[in-house]
Amino acid sequence: MSEQLNSHLEERSRALFNGSVESMDFALPWLFRATTWAPAAGVTAAAVLGVAFWFGSPTGHPGAALADNQSNFEDMELVASTDDNSADAMEMLQDDIDFYDFADKAAG
Amino acid sequence: MTSFDTLNSAWMVWDTPAPASRGAILEYTKDLEIFLAEIERRAFRMAQMALRDPDDALDVVQDAMIKLTRNYASKPSAEWRPLFYRILENGIRDLQRRRSVRKRFMSWLPGAKEDPEGEAQDPLDNVADAAPAIPESLMQAEAIERLEVSLRALPARQRQAFSLRNFEGMDVAQTAQAMGCSEGSVKTHYSRAVHALREQLGEAW
Repeated sequence: MSEQLNSHLEERSRALFNGSVESMDFALPWLFRATTWAPAAGVTAAAVLGVAFWFGSPTGHPGAALADNQSNFEDMELVASTDDNSADAMEMLQDDIDFYDFADKAAG
Repeated sequence: MTSFDTLNSAWMVWDTPAPASRGAILEYTKDLEIFLAEIERRAFRMAQMALRDPDDALDVVQDAMIKLTRNYASKPSAEWRPLFYRILENGIRDLQRRRSVRKRFMSWLPGAKEDPEGEAQDPLDNVADAAPAIPESLMQAEAIERLEVSLRALPARQRQAFSLRNFEGMDVAQTAQAMGCSEGSVKTHYSRAVHALREQLGEAW
């Protein structure tokens, strides 16, 4: 009799537990993903730091880079902004490429 | 230089001792994900029954998953289940100890109220559900609540033996491995747990 009662208790508690698991209205998909994303996050953080150090180094200072880019842009603007003779200006730039090439070799 | 398809596979190599091969790593990573996906809800429910608080239960389950992945992923998959539940149970016990210490500490503070159950009641628990209750589900909810209360009243080892054997369907050997004790102890704890539950829940069960 006692064995039967115990068996019934075991069965009922198991059924209740299984029922409560099935009726859970939310899944936990993020649990393991959190563990698999952790190394990816670490690598990403390292990459971001690396980029930050690269641009933060004296040879690659963002200010200097910005100034260079701005200077080039101004040069191009000067060439392109000669309204009347803009075609001539571009042509002049094309003609002088050999000269610039020569000057570069001579200087280098 | 070794290359990997995914960051995950590379990470598994860093964190596990001397894996067999890249193919094997990918294989057990996949198997481990499947295993964890299978048990996560049940593990959460077991932790929730022991701890009552769902947030704590989530933390403990997640910690157990991380520890299993980091330390035992390269073990044979047959060993994952008892290992996982051993880690989970250790986490539950640690949390219960911390709660106990906190409770003792709080009781020294002036104006601290006595909490006979050792856990603060959430006022939201007493708010009636707006949806009309179906009698059957109400009975189920009441029954599971009674079971949870009775399980929490058991000594930790008895609760563990009962949960693993009865809810998880582990055999005596697996339960012994998960509990870190002999098979004889498992039988004793389980038998005592069933008797204690019978006394608490009455013959209607």
